[in-house]
Amino acid sequence: MTVTSEQHIEGKRDVTFRVFRLNPQVDSKPYFDDYTIPVERGITVLRALNYIKENIDASVSYRVFCQAGICGSCGMRINGISKLACTTQVWDELPKCREAGIIKIEPLRNLPLLKDLIVDMDPLVGKMKHYRNWVESSMPEPEMGKKEFLVSEEEFSRYDKATDCILCASCVSECSILRANKEYVSPAVLLKSYRMNVDTRDSLHDVRLAELVQDHGVWDCTHCYRCQETCVKNIPIMEAIHGIREDAIECRGLKDSAGAKHAEAFMSDIEKKGKLVEATLPFRTNGVAWTVKNLLPMAVKMIMKRRTPPPPPLVKSSKGMKQFREEFREMTEHVKDDHKTHNK
Amino acid sequence: MKRYAYYLSCINESMTKEVDRSIALWQKDLGIELVHLHESTCCGGSNLDYVSPKHFALVNARNIAHAEKMGLDLVVSCNTCLMTIRSAKKKLDASPELRAEVNEILKKEGLEYRGTSEVRHLLWVLIDDVGLEAIKSKVKVPLSKYRIAPFYGCHILRPSTVLGKDNPLDPSSLDQLIEALGGKTIPYRHKNRCCGFHTLLVAEEESLSVAAEALGEAIEEKADFIVTPCPLCHTVLDGYQSKALKQAHIHSSIPVFHLSEMVGLALGYSPKELGIKRHIVS
Repeated sequence: MTVTSEQHIEGKRDVTFRVFRLNPQVDSKPYFDDYTIPVERGITVLRALNYIKENIDASVSYRVFCQAGICGSCGMRINGISKLACTTQVWDELPKCREAGIIKIEPLRNLPLLKDLIVDMDPLVGKMKHYRNWVESSMPEPEMGKKEFLVSEEEFSRYDKATDCILCASCVSECSILRANKEYVSPAVLLKSYRMNVDTRDSLHDVRLAELVQDHGVWDCTHCYRCQETCVKNIPIMEAIHGIREDAIECRGLKDSAGAKHAEAFMSDIEKKGKLVEATLPFRTNGVAWTVKNLLPMAVKMIMKRRTPPPPPLVKSSKGMKQFREEFREMTEHVKDDHKTHNK
Repeated sequence: MKRYAYYLSCINESMTKEVDRSIALWQKDLGIELVHLHESTCCGGSNLDYVSPKHFALVNARNIAHAEKMGLDLVVSCNTCLMTIRSAKKKLDASPELRAEVNEILKKEGLEYRGTSEVRHLLWVLIDDVGLEAIKSKVKVPLSKYRIAPFYGCHILRPSTVLGKDNPLDPSSLDQLIEALGGKTIPYRHKNRCCGFHTLLVAEEESLSVAAEALGEAIEEKADFIVTPCPLCHTVLDGYQSKALKQAHIHSSIPVFHLSEMVGLALGYSPKELGIKRHIVS
């Protein structure tokens, strides 16, 4: 399937698009089709796909709408990385090809495949609904329409970047934990939950937060930063995830969930010893029963290799701990003062 | 001899002692001296920042200020310590108010965070300061018989706004070091993926599944061993390997080396001297 052009004209060359194909109604397994077409510098991957669909193979299926990086429809994996086809230049992709001159196009990961490059967005929409990611107004009904709901510039700055999300699902496709478990909340949903939870017009904060700290929620993120790194709008998604965690610790305490207990251990160990007491970290996060059941066989191997972390009394404190502890506690007073000012 | 303030990572002080032990063996061979910073404290391990952002800033301003007092760059050999301390530095450098607040506290210890010391990974020091040609010239036992899978780990690459040394989508620094030591790298799709360490105690099954994918590809590509610049990745890929592979129904195994051990092997030190026998998978 080739339409060739005169080669080696500067700014114009033949490029092969190796496109993932699967029509579940007909095909028993996926395959790739190669389409070689003449491409000029400045052409996007989406325009190349449009050319293929119009001139070579009308059966190639993908989602497209605005063609301008606004609607988020054309998310797909280009040379292995999830991004928008409409904002990706063919010329920028050429140096990234594993095989020279062949750009690989695949559907997003971590969502069910419908056909070729089209994935089913319903699971993502379902999670948005589950975490009620919309503003449920805190304004009493009789006042509605009579009073303005003002948002200060300072408040808006807290979620300004999060509102840039166009739900393209690139972050969903790149997420390490979602790859392991499709039940996981997913980065786009966490970002949206964060955005709603810092909005003072919303009344669902506590309900949403209680849901976010459950299994497959905010504590299951493994801090790999792949979501943030591939976000097509450069949104600091991990800051939003950490924002929810900070909020959860503040509103629900440090003993609320395994994730919070794990984080608390770092804080208290640093204050006491300046070092992490790793030997008791599993107990403090998950309790004795979990630790014995899950870690005992490995602990035996580690003892034999002398790799077990030392018991708490043998963890040597950092040098100058007495002074450090005073500094740490002084900062604790600062934080208390901040809260008082904030709550006024 | 170029000197650096060496940050002591919690994990290298307890579970992965072989990292510091192997660096101590060869550092002078490569013309560097890592001065141990015994006053440093835990960086917060990518957790303290959301428990208390202000304590996070204080702790790491202090860690860096100790290096600044010595007039040296701060060098770490753990990816998460690298990312965490660099994140704190970025926040401190961007906010005069935060800097003033922590310095007011640090003053009592005679310390001041000024932002003059860089925070760098040992891998970066080897490549940028020692240099690949110099390393090549010191190799006594080239790793030419090995096919090596380079596993970078997340926090030496991402977020690139904090790290910025390698292209996070296609990193090359560790590959370059392996080649300078005479080894052959395998094409390894999982090189810039996650090991799952940070959710081991919270979502173990998911973490092990993430680790098994990285291990599985290296096994499938017939690598002789995986090498990583991060002791946390090593802990998962070596310590949890049998559990991860069992969960994924993969009946095989693969040794995992620390960056510091791989360098030591090429410079002529024995596996015993380097502490390689301490690994769970041999």
